[in-house]
Amino acid sequence: MSVYAFFIFDRHTECIYTKRWAPVPPPQQPPTTNGYARGATDASILARKALKAEDDAKLIFGTVFSLRRMVRQLGGEDDQFLSYRTAEYKLHYFETPTQLKFLMLTDTRVGNMRTALHQIWATLYVEYVVKSPLSPAEHPKGVGVANELFDGGLESFIASLFAPQ
Amino acid sequence: MSGAGGNATQQLRLARHHHRNQRQSHYSHTSFTSTDNQNVRCSPFATYLPTNTPNRVVFALLIINKAGGLVYNRTFAPGLQKLDGNDYLILAGTFHGIHAISRQINPAPAAQHLPGYRRPPTTGLESLESSHFRLTCFQTPTGVKFLLFTSPEQPNTEVVVRRCYEIYGDYVMKNPFYSMEMPIRVEKFDRALGGYLVRP
Repeated sequence: MSVYAFFIFDRHTECIYTKRWAPVPPPQQPPTTNGYARGATDASILARKALKAEDDAKLIFGTVFSLRRMVRQLGGEDDQFLSYRTAEYKLHYFETPTQLKFLMLTDTRVGNMRTALHQIWATLYVEYVVKSPLSPAEHPKGVGVANELFDGGLESFIASLFAPQ
Repeated sequence: MSGAGGNATQQLRLARHHHRNQRQSHYSHTSFTSTDNQNVRCSPFATYLPTNTPNRVVFALLIINKAGGLVYNRTFAPGLQKLDGNDYLILAGTFHGIHAISRQINPAPAAQHLPGYRRPPTTGLESLESSHFRLTCFQTPTGVKFLLFTSPEQPNTEVVVRRCYEIYGDYVMKNPFYSMEMPIRVEKFDRALGGYLVRP
């Protein structure tokens, strides 16, 4: 059992928090003699990676938004989209009444994570973000969400869920 | 009955290869007008489906062609909201797009393999759960998608959707009057699906 990523989207469709549990990267290539060129490629790789992460968040939001609408259309207004699964990964979804969307990507063997997402909202997000006097009511570009307490709490909560047996 | 069973086995085997270039040879020894398979519930492949489980509900089946167009749409039991034909077409197109995107946002790391290993193709969305229904999607190697809407309690949905694919292979693909990628209007297919999925 492993977790790949965690996202929070606000009601303005903006990604306000992202956390990725990256797999161990492959070993670096040996340094080349041309230090300048190497630095340039590193920077471009980093930029591309950041761009890809941003694009991924947008794609994931688009997917979930459409699926959520589809589920409402077919199952009625009180139907809720819970999760979907492909052969490679599983996406878990939880939406609060204020249209805050909590998403988690895990591997396919993980069971229902809805209660875990609810718990993240109730015990971590509400406690450390909503009740924080320093954080604004809305979080444009994620201001005030990724504070130390929330980050650390989420880290340890996920670690306890996905602890090696 | 053993003769019918043998014929059905043969048809099944051939249906699995229907996307290959063997369709011409099918016609020589497969008679889709024969009465052998008229009642699909007599077929030996239907035996793994218990008939007396009350919460086993199949709501609807949609078939989407490889271009994202809806070619078949049928409701078997009430439970989903009523949509008009246009909404179903939009739904099929949307799902086609989501399926492609869900394949692209795969976060799983690529495992290290020996050289020469061919990675299995990544699949898109296979199963979706909501609080009222479950959607099982099965994509054939040729890109046709079978969407089966069932109740969340329904077990073995993968088996059911594969059996629908077999029926499709038997009655749609082997029908010489069916033109590819077009809406399916095959009476025997309707009857076979009804016999398999509609509970009395």
